Amino acid sequence: MTGLGTTGGPALVCGEVRTCLLPTRDAVDERTAVELLRLRADERVRVSRHPNRHAVSPDVLTGVDCLLPTANGTRVRAVGTVAARAVLVEGRVLQSTAYFRAPAKGPDRRQPWGYYLVRPGTLVPVGRLAEKPVTEGFLTGHRSGELDIGSVAESLLARISRRHRFLDYDTPLTTADTALRWTAAPADDGEAASLRFTKADDGLRIVELRLPRGTAPDVAAGLCEDLALHDWLLSTVNDKLDGLRVGADDGTAALKVLRPLVDHLLHLWMPQARVDRALRTTWAELEEDAGYSRQWHTLAQRVRDQLTLLHLTRRDALATP
Amino acid sequence: MSGAETVFRETSAEPRTESVPFSHLSLELGHLYMEDFVEGPSRLRRHFASVRPWVDAARAGVGPLPAGRRPRISTCFLIDDYFSRLSTPAELIPPLLAAAAEAGLTIDYLARESGCASPSPAPGEAAHRDRTELAEAVLHRLVELPPPGSNGFRPPVSRTGWLTNGRRAPAQRTSAALDSTGVVWQPPGETGARGHSVFMDVELWSGPEEERTWSCAFLASVWQLVRLGLLRDNGRAVMTPTDWFDKEFPAEWDALPPVLKLNSAADPFTAYVTCSVLPARFLPVEHAVRVILDQVHVEDEAVRMVAERSAGEGFTVPAGVVDRTSYVFPPGL
Repeated sequence: MTGLGTTGGPALVCGEVRTCLLPTRDAVDERTAVELLRLRADERVRVSRHPNRHAVSPDVLTGVDCLLPTANGTRVRAVGTVAARAVLVEGRVLQSTAYFRAPAKGPDRRQPWGYYLVRPGTLVPVGRLAEKPVTEGFLTGHRSGELDIGSVAESLLARISRRHRFLDYDTPLTTADTALRWTAAPADDGEAASLRFTKADDGLRIVELRLPRGTAPDVAAGLCEDLALHDWLLSTVNDKLDGLRVGADDGTAALKVLRPLVDHLLHLWMPQARVDRALRTTWAELEEDAGYSRQWHTLAQRVRDQLTLLHLTRRDALATP
Repeated sequence: MSGAETVFRETSAEPRTESVPFSHLSLELGHLYMEDFVEGPSRLRRHFASVRPWVDAARAGVGPLPAGRRPRISTCFLIDDYFSRLSTPAELIPPLLAAAAEAGLTIDYLARESGCASPSPAPGEAAHRDRTELAEAVLHRLVELPPPGSNGFRPPVSRTGWLTNGRRAPAQRTSAALDSTGVVWQPPGETGARGHSVFMDVELWSGPEEERTWSCAFLASVWQLVRLGLLRDNGRAVMTPTDWFDKEFPAEWDALPPVLKLNSAADPFTAYVTCSVLPARFLPVEHAVRVILDQVHVEDEAVRMVAERSAGEGFTVPAGVVDRTSYVFPPGL
């Protein structure tokens, strides 16, 4: 697989990650995770156990032939396949990523379909790509008839969420799904990997990446899954603690909120678990600016402190006649 | 890109793909219905006599090869034991081999069509447990070609069990009241047609999902992919030939492995490109095969292995899978 910005490689990689809680009461074990993500009987689900449990489905392809969104209205038609894969982290958080790479230019007319199928996950422009307008247009969002990559990610999520045999749909806490839309362009030689992260409304996150030349598209997708997972965790716990009523009653209400966080989410924080070393500067930037880990550790500590207090209060209440 | 600095690896996270050996050309010496076999040895002799000159032409056409390289060519024959079983291997195979030999042809590999439908056993393994049905696996590898305007939100319209080379005609309303208002018929269209369409809609299977009958066209597509060495089952090679030198043939088809290697000196069964010498009555089926092959997404690693190996020995292999197949439909077959 040729990397970003290399000769014959893609000039641009774009994608969208959807993140949600797997709709089950308890996290699923590794065997169930593998069954859930087995999208094709003849291809393995990749499983990694360190530093956390992480299962990745094989890629599935969706054929498209449409205009790419552009910021300035330039017409860029592209033909090929969007790749999509699903990831399950610790059997608890489900993510689906749809992504594609695009070379700077392609043939002047559509080729036989077999040409595109030996370039899986590649959208080949008919003519030239216009990287900058496509990057901006993609991050802003598509108009009717233009490439709708979110739908591809969403339909894979739906496909897995419909597997009734493995799921009981009795989630232990309500959470809001997020969509993280991203683009990756090659960084200049000698320049470190960098990112621009925008937290928008309605669960939308926008990430513009500049990555070292030669970065493989699936490695870029892996970085974005990692960013999306941690952003989702932080947003979810933050929302749950927003306006937490402590001391209003005997603590039952607070316990109802805090307990699922401990049971299901607090152990999932593991930034850069599988992020390529060359890309870790992006996380460093995010930590410096937004302080994701600082905030997470503060929130986690708050959850634990509250639980300790609740415990002490209840014990005292029981001890006093 | 992290290869050099990786200190920790997990094999379960890095799937392996088994490699297979490659000839330059896999040459199919014909395909017959069970009914043809029933007609007797003279029918078989006539078949191979007609095939012979075209086989020689196909052999001569391999290449170009770098100077001094001998072309590796293996021959094969596919027996239809899937749609009907009028006779037993013990009765059917020896006269077939004799008729081929009489025309000066050697069948290196003999395959059963059922093998393309069922799970592929590992060599020396009788049970099929944990093995994937080949046809089923290929079905899930189909990526339908998108007519212009497909943007991911509206994926290509699929009709379960069918595959087209374009866009179907919109469903017709048959109510007389509507017809009188002049609802205009819209034609189907072939995607990427040159001027005018040749639209094709291929039936992949019939029957209920649990006991599907795969269509001849679909099994023939699987057969092409097997010969091209492009299929794997969870990384393992499929339909690997089993040595069968001077051995008796059993009375049951199921007692035979899916692919037999009959000639101990044969070049590898799997090949960079294929050529099939077939009666012209198979032309529609093979057109359907091409429509199917054009929409199969084969495992990237398998494609890469072929590209690397062929480049290493200076042999050009077309990038598209369908372009690796070729046919001869001789007269009088």
